[in-house]
Amino acid sequence: MNLDQALQTFIGESRELLEEMEQSLLSLGATTEPGEDIHAIFRAAHTIKGSAGLFGLDGVVAFTHIVESLLDQLRSGEQAWSEDMAGLLLSARDHIVALIEAVAAGEEPSTPVLQQGAKLATALSACMQGAVAEVADQALAAQADAASTPDAEDGHWHISLRFHADTLRHGMDPLSFLFYLRNLGQIVHVETVADALPLDGSFDAESCYLGFEIALRGQTDHAAIESVFEFVLDACELRILAPGSTAEQFAALADALPEGAARARQWLIACASLPAEAETSPTDARADALPAGGEVKGEVAALAASAPSPVQALPPKPLESRSVRVDADRLDQLIDQIGELIIASAGTSLAARQTRNPELQERSATLASLVQAVRESALQLRMVRIGATFNRFQRVVHDTARELGKDIGLIIRGEDTELDKTVVEKVADPITHLVRNAMDHGIESAEVRRQRGKSERGTITLEAWHDSGAIVIRVADDGGGLNRDKILAKAVDRGLVDAHRQLSDSEIYELIFEPGFSTAEQVSNLSGRGVGMDVVKRNITALRGSISIDSTPGQGTAISIRLPLTLAIIDGFLVEVGNATFVIPMDVIDECVEFSQVGHNDFANLRGQVLPLIGMHQVFGLGTGARSGRRNIVVIRHAGRSFGLVVDALLGEFQTVIKPLAKLFAGVRCVSGSTVLGNGKVALIVDVPALVDQAGQAALARASAASAAVSAA
Amino acid sequence: MAKTIMIVDDSASMRQVVAIALKGAGYEVLEGSDGQDALNKLDGKKVHLIISDVNMPGMDGLSFVRELKQRPAYKFTPVMMLTTEYTDEKKKAGQAAGARAWMVKPFKPDQLLNAVQKLCLA
Repeated sequence: MNLDQALQTFIGESRELLEEMEQSLLSLGATTEPGEDIHAIFRAAHTIKGSAGLFGLDGVVAFTHIVESLLDQLRSGEQAWSEDMAGLLLSARDHIVALIEAVAAGEEPSTPVLQQGAKLATALSACMQGAVAEVADQALAAQADAASTPDAEDGHWHISLRFHADTLRHGMDPLSFLFYLRNLGQIVHVETVADALPLDGSFDAESCYLGFEIALRGQTDHAAIESVFEFVLDACELRILAPGSTAEQFAALADALPEGAARARQWLIACASLPAEAETSPTDARADALPAGGEVKGEVAALAASAPSPVQALPPKPLESRSVRVDADRLDQLIDQIGELIIASAGTSLAARQTRNPELQERSATLASLVQAVRESALQLRMVRIGATFNRFQRVVHDTARELGKDIGLIIRGEDTELDKTVVEKVADPITHLVRNAMDHGIESAEVRRQRGKSERGTITLEAWHDSGAIVIRVADDGGGLNRDKILAKAVDRGLVDAHRQLSDSEIYELIFEPGFSTAEQVSNLSGRGVGMDVVKRNITALRGSISIDSTPGQGTAISIRLPLTLAIIDGFLVEVGNATFVIPMDVIDECVEFSQVGHNDFANLRGQVLPLIGMHQVFGLGTGARSGRRNIVVIRHAGRSFGLVVDALLGEFQTVIKPLAKLFAGVRCVSGSTVLGNGKVALIVDVPALVDQAGQAALARASAASAAVSAA
Repeated sequence: MAKTIMIVDDSASMRQVVAIALKGAGYEVLEGSDGQDALNKLDGKKVHLIISDVNMPGMDGLSFVRELKQRPAYKFTPVMMLTTEYTDEKKKAGQAAGARAWMVKPFKPDQLLNAVQKLCLA
């Protein structure tokens, strides 16, 4: 049996369950009435334990068993819920995560992990009320006992079987048991006992009237035979006589059978269990030493008759959506291939146009639209809800709040918002930093909050929504807001800005993203430990995203991250500069206007506004050449400002598959990647944030100087 | 004709392993992720054995068995509970619901196969 794939499923499933478990534990928090959540937590532990056994992960089974036992007590109300209990269970959950991750890595858990496990196991056991802990141990011991087999005995076994009338109604098939019995040895003879069959009209087709007398030859034992009938023990009379049983034992059996001793003796003889002349005593020399046969009546029969214990009905939950698990790598490969398909399709369209064959053009247009539809669907495949990532922050906020000694709650909104899995993975760290920062620096201490007339409990809001081809993630706090003057003073102090420059509020707020900026008077051990907001900004920029701050003194700060929905393919706009082709991401473009030959080179007048210009020829060192014809301006918007990129020709919209640049070009600025055009030429994708960083400031300065000169003139 | 067994468990890995074991022994396998899902998938189809977990989100195993036993098509279909629950109370509740066989997780695939063969021949 190849269980590798199933093991992968198990690992994925366990991770999900553990995450849910954490959610539930956190949401329980300090409540005293655990309710439905405890069932969810129990189920998670239960499922992991059950599946882990299949893969022989004994360490996981042993540990989750202890956790499960404690949860069982909590579930049944034998144990009271407390915040300490939540803490302990959270640590236990973390330990299971460590165990599962070791399995995923194909390693044995490390020694510290095992030590931690032993410590936790002791703590968990100590929590449990003694009696039940013992029961659990006994249950384990009983299982172990059952596994050890007593000595098997070879010879002629006689089995007498009478099914109860209900057997068929229970869904049991008498024949199945007989067939299974063959696993233990050879069935020498079977006598079917149909004496109970009513011959009058009272026959009921759903009732079972059958019995069997069976002679079995084989090396086996009493318990093994009994276990064949384990599922019908409560619905049949089973009598087993071991090889070499005495005549007295056979006589006792014959007497006990409902059909009467005389008929019974016939069957026994037919089965060759008794010699034909049954009156003569069989080999009774060994009789005393032999194990006693006799009646083994299902003990559970009595239990079955007793009243059912009440079973807790769980409220129905929404059904999980039907889904297929696919390896992320395979998905990436598919998207990669679709990228190639798009490029090939663009090439085909171009070639079709050049042939001027209308039929070919029409067909290729159909193909292109299908390819686009496939692209959309493929990208959709990699979209995941951001909820799972957001929910992780419950824990972050919970733990950080404890560390800081502040009372802070987290509100999550828009967890259904979807974005590319690769983006989700990369955005978790920056968000963590922002959340911790907001908790540490944003939210004031309880005292200050009281003085300011706010509730003592601070709130962090984490939300996400879609905004025209991008996702916006916002981390907001209801703290004191950014201190404009303090930031400015610090920035001047650090030489980040000129003291005389007039800066807008948002420009000042942006300063906190400058490398090496920290305004906290006391550097706490949470934030301000080397990793600053500049790193957050760099990470976001690397994802082709942008970050912006909004702050109201006394009411709080909100930091918004805007990210593209996917990293693999973008909608771009193709432009020509000199003899090179560039792609500008569509989402930053506002409009395109004609470059006026008679105007200035440094700014353009866009409906009365000064539009600073960035000459692409200059930035990329491309000669303007002897090119005639008009030039154009692509108006882009970045970080709240508009700029005009001066280009030669506008070539139109283009769906672009991003190919990262080779390592050799890692240091190249202003280019975020490349793509292959339909005609096989390479086009470079403009890294707009970097471009604005590099050339924007100078363009602004030149534009304001030039516009001032113009208006003065 | 191969006999059909339905496995009902919220754990996909559990279903997968049970399916691998059963298919290897020549059974056809149907899967359900919880009681409701299993009922939807059964929809009158002939199955020879149903193996069900007890603790599941949505419709749990015992409610599922009770519901199943109400349906004429499955009144006589044997049901085995496959669960980490080992207490007698739970087993009694299982019997009251209509499950005649009980198997405690964790188990070895061979143990499962042995139990299945007692209930329904391949």
